[in-house]
Amino acid sequence: MSQALREFLLKKAKLEKIFNWGVRWSLWPVHLVTSCCGVEVAHTSGPGFDAERWGVLPFHTMRQSNVILVEGTITRKMAKVLKMVYEQMPEPKFVLAMGACAVRGGLFWNSYHVVQVDTVVPVDVYIAGCPPTPEAVVRAFIMLHNKIKGKPGPFIEPSKVDLTPYLPPPPKPAAPRPAPQQTAQPASG
Amino acid sequence: MSAKTPPKCPPEGDHLLLAKIKQAIGPAYLAHGVTPEGHLCVMVQADKIREVASAVKSMGFDHVLSLSAIDYMAEKKFVVTYIFASYLSPELKGQLLHVRTEIPRDNPKIASIADIFPSADYEERECHEMFGIWFEGNTHMGKRFLLDPDCCIDEKTGKPLYPLRKDFKVPDWGLMG
Repeated sequence: MSQALREFLLKKAKLEKIFNWGVRWSLWPVHLVTSCCGVEVAHTSGPGFDAERWGVLPFHTMRQSNVILVEGTITRKMAKVLKMVYEQMPEPKFVLAMGACAVRGGLFWNSYHVVQVDTVVPVDVYIAGCPPTPEAVVRAFIMLHNKIKGKPGPFIEPSKVDLTPYLPPPPKPAAPRPAPQQTAQPASG
Repeated sequence: MSAKTPPKCPPEGDHLLLAKIKQAIGPAYLAHGVTPEGHLCVMVQADKIREVASAVKSMGFDHVLSLSAIDYMAEKKFVVTYIFASYLSPELKGQLLHVRTEIPRDNPKIASIADIFPSADYEERECHEMFGIWFEGNTHMGKRFLLDPDCCIDEKTGKPLYPLRKDFKVPDWGLMG
């Protein structure tokens, strides 16, 4: 029976596709809660947003997980920990940089002790916001789904509605300024 | 305190505290003021900080709430600020005592009070890392406590740099292109 199923599946779809399907629906993130963004991830996996619908199960050890969620500021000391945690994870592995601090340093952008995440590990999806809402985290996971599927791109497609008849006409370009005329100064005294 | 906002009239408790402190620390006293929150701030001599700390401890203050420094680069001095508070003494409830000293910027050394107030130990280590002030008597001086051992080091000389000094330059990330 299993032999027949295997042959049927291999005929139907490429093996890589089945593999990717399995990876896509079992994204287990490790939390690297270095800031307040961890609160929003707790919301995301709570009953309200229930990220397990997309296969996102929060897990506590990096050796059994394949996604690392960098939630907040990464200092130089913590960057070493991040690198070590990343290298302990099994392949395939993904990195999500969450929040303004992880993306560009955020509030601490000119600090002596803060680094960007993408200088330490390769980042798959950036999540903007300070902190990002749970919807944004879920959107990032769906973007990661699309990336594993082989269709990376923005989750929200740009609007194609033509709004020009409803908008005010563009302002006319200003007339060029006349060159300053040199007037003779009246002689004083 | 700035000259435009005159200090509030100190409450009566602070008057009593000032008289007690003047009596306790004796010749180390230099000047005093009242912060906008109504706390007493005393300027003392830098070489008598250990005597001042023991006197403050005998008054009933039992821990150092904060220990920090201010870098006056133009005047070539550091002002080290100790803030004392009390958990146990009922008459000192809600009182903070600021004690300030001035030390020269080119040779910043001051005696450690970590054996009198154990809570000052970590504060002194942090202040040493951030400002380069050497607290004589603290055994942890010259080591890294909070900072990464690889960062804030002068590339030419190999000496540590102190990131909260005014002349420290933050390494540029090229954020705006």
